This record gives sequence, structure tokens and C-alpha cells, in this order.
Amino acid sequence: MKENSTKKEFLVPSDLSEVQRVSSEALSFLKPLGLRQAVLFDIRLCLDEALINAMKYGHQFKRELTVRLSIEYDQNEVRVLVEDQGEGFDPKKIKNCTEGENVLRGHGRGLHLIHQLMDEVKHNPKGNAVLMVKSLKESLL
Amino acid sequence: MQVKAIQIEEVTIFLVDGEINISTSPDLRKLFEKQAAKKVVVNLEKVIYIDSSGLATLVEMLKKMKSQGGSLGLSGMSEKVKSLFEITKLDKLFSISQSQDEAVTRVK
Repeated sequence: MKENSTKKEFLVPSDLSEVQRVSSEALSFLKPLGLRQAVLFDIRLCLDEALINAMKYGHQFKRELTVRLSIEYDQNEVRVLVEDQGEGFDPKKIKNCTEGENVLRGHGRGLHLIHQLMDEVKHNPKGNAVLMVKSLKESLL
Repeated sequence: MQVKAIQIEEVTIFLVDGEINISTSPDLRKLFEKQAAKKVVVNLEKVIYIDSSGLATLVEMLKKMKSQGGSLGLSGMSEKVKSLFEITKLDKLFSISQSQDEAVTRVK
């Protein structure tokens, strides 16, 4: 990310009612970019999924524990970082929701969607933070 | 999210309007749990957003319908919503039709 990027941070209580409010604020923050609806859909979905995972698996929905959301953009990309205060997890141990009987499971699709819809996804070694990057090439109006 | 149920012959159609997200999918799940029809179409034409909890709710509905010998079809989804079904391979699991009429014919 270049020095001339624009950045905003949120500390989000681990409460599902906060998800819509925060993702709506985050999308408003991206408005100056004039992104296509389909791109905004992808960013919102990945942001929502990462926030929900952090609240649910990282914090067991303990409202007092906050998830740190950082959203940053320049003319090339949008970077979204979601970090919780939990123990972390190993993303390699998550079953692929598109294989065999996993397709029928009631959960496990959020992370898969993130990896498919973003251009770059990185987990920190502890597994309590995910960085999601959307390239803006071909994403403008 | 709002859901309206209509009946066309023996097929119950749920017309879903709005977002199927982590906050609204429990309501949809409750509605599906209560319904007893054997042939169901969920019309997603007016669904502007769906997340993994919404997809999971539809999978649960499908499993319930199949276990009871019923059939479930989805119709009218936008290109964006349809792409999520493709990414998660759920397009192989569901009967997906472009129009509600086509979906009704397929579940009969």
C-alpha cells in the first residue's frame, strides 16, 4: 500500500447487530472509489464473513471483546484487515466446503467465499487475523 | 427481509424480498421449519444479498425437503447470487431455474 492511501479503523463489539452497521459504514468509506456494485458486493460479503467468524469463533460473541477492522484503499487496491483477540485457528484444517459431503454441511462456507472472491488473502501465523485484498483493476465503473 | 407465501396448485412459493444475512436467516429458517408442503419453490428474484448463513439456511431446507420425500426449487436469482452458488458448488445440489414458472414445473 502506497503512502497516499486512505485508511479507517473500527473497534467492533462482538455482537451480530454490529455487523450490518459496520459494513454499511465501511462501504460508505469506499464510496469515493466509485466501484461497481458487484465489487462492493464481494467486499461487503467478505467483510461480513470475516467479522462474523471473528465474533463467533474468536470471541464466542462476548460483546465486551472487540474485533479490530482496518480498511484502506489507494488507486490500486482495497485492503481489509480483521483481527480478533482469540486463540486463532489453522486455516489449513478447515474442510473444503465444495468437496464430497461437505457441500451439505450447515457451515464452513464463509472462509471459502473469502478466498474465492478476494484477490489475495493472508492469515497471520497465530490465525487470529485475516488480511483480504481486492485489486481495483477492472473494478471501477 | 420480507417473505410472502403463495400457492400455485400443489406448489408453495416463498417470495423472498431483501437480504438473507446473519440477522435475517433465522427468521427464514423458522418459516421453513413450520411449513409442511411437499413441493416448494423459493423465489429469490428480489434477494439483493445473501451470505453464508443464508446459503446454509437453504441447504437445511433442501435436506429437510429431501428427507420428507419432497422437492425444492430455487428461481430468479441474480447473476451475483448465482455466482455464490457456483463458487460453493451448491448449484450442483439445487434445482435452479431462471423463472418461477419453470421452477414450479420442475418441482411438480
